[in-house]
Amino acid sequence: MKAPLWIVPALIVACTAAAAGGARLFAAPSVTREFAAAAQGTVSRRVVFVVSGVRCVDTAEGAARQFSGVPGVLSFAAYASRGRVEVTYDAASTDVPALIEAIEGPVYDEATQEFRFGVYAVREVDGEKVDQRSR
Amino acid sequence: MKWLRLALQSAVMLAAVFAGVRFAMGRSVVSVETWCPFGGLETAWSFVTHRRFSCAAGELNLALFLALLILTLLARKAFCGWVCPVGALFEWEGRLARRLFRRPGFTGLVRVPPRVDRMLKVVLRLAVLAVVLTATWTTGELVFRGYDPYYILFSAHGHDVQVWSYAILGGLLLSALLLPMAWCKYLCPLGAAIWPFAVAGRLRLARAASACTGCGACDRACPQALNVSGVTEVRSGECTLCFECTAVCPSEGALELRWTGVKR
Repeated sequence: MKAPLWIVPALIVACTAAAAGGARLFAAPSVTREFAAAAQGTVSRRVVFVVSGVRCVDTAEGAARQFSGVPGVLSFAAYASRGRVEVTYDAASTDVPALIEAIEGPVYDEATQEFRFGVYAVREVDGEKVDQRSR
Repeated sequence: MKWLRLALQSAVMLAAVFAGVRFAMGRSVVSVETWCPFGGLETAWSFVTHRRFSCAAGELNLALFLALLILTLLARKAFCGWVCPVGALFEWEGRLARRLFRRPGFTGLVRVPPRVDRMLKVVLRLAVLAVVLTATWTTGELVFRGYDPYYILFSAHGHDVQVWSYAILGGLLLSALLLPMAWCKYLCPLGAAIWPFAVAGRLRLARAASACTGCGACDRACPQALNVSGVTEVRSGECTLCFECTAVCPSEGALELRWTGVKR
């Protein structure tokens, strides 16, 4: 059966749109960490950050290490391709500014045995852009 | 159709440059890799076995790869001829070479005998695909980023891009002058991965022998240097449905796009 030539660009647009729309079906984290089990009566909250510096599994693992030892952090999940970091925390022990301080803090580089600054920067908190100039 | 294809190729290329520069400047957290369907294949093993993504790959890579397979089953290698910015660059370079060396078609300065050409297209490209996938699936890292022309070109000197990466890119650009589309024909691992699907693609160009004048303009216009005038149906898995052949055909109705397996 004869087909019009425009069918080819139409199929390209349709397939691209389907991929963009259907990508969420495959959403899976690059890195997950459980820091502590929530005790009974804990008010656990979840915050979603978009973090520059989280761009692959290695950098996402580095971001997870920033939260180890931070009181009140319960779990961590990173989606490296989008720079997205989800943190569940105990609202009685910590808050969002403390979490931002933790992730943006100096990063210890084991190879050089030095601290590096500005490795991670929070760009968004729960969908709200963070103004970098005012900080 | 020719201008629409050029517009789409240019738009994708500009978008890739824009995305790469924005990421490099720290203006965006989404890198140019996010839009690469081959990343979906590279991370497929990790996703299937551990429900996790490798390195910088994510769900969009996987979704784009699956969409590419569907597109290829319908419209053969349309992605390569209409979307892929690396394919576009090498095609434009092939056009430049044609003018520079005054060649009638996309044959270049180096002539590869048809048998060797067929063998290289299958064996060499599949070997590249096997090596890349084995290394990626076993290490969980996108270890070939530094060799990937898409990443070298559009990541704005991204992570893993070294001096030798530019040497490789230079070599590939030079090879495209001598042998047009050499990367796409003989080395591209994504091309190898979708090739079986392209062979089975439902949309095909059909040549009506009764209307064909046998002028050979279609052969000379084909960026893949396919023999269009010598077949009744272009079954090659390399056809990108770019319609360069239909645009130059002087005889109306000699070349038509058809759904195969669908009766009138």
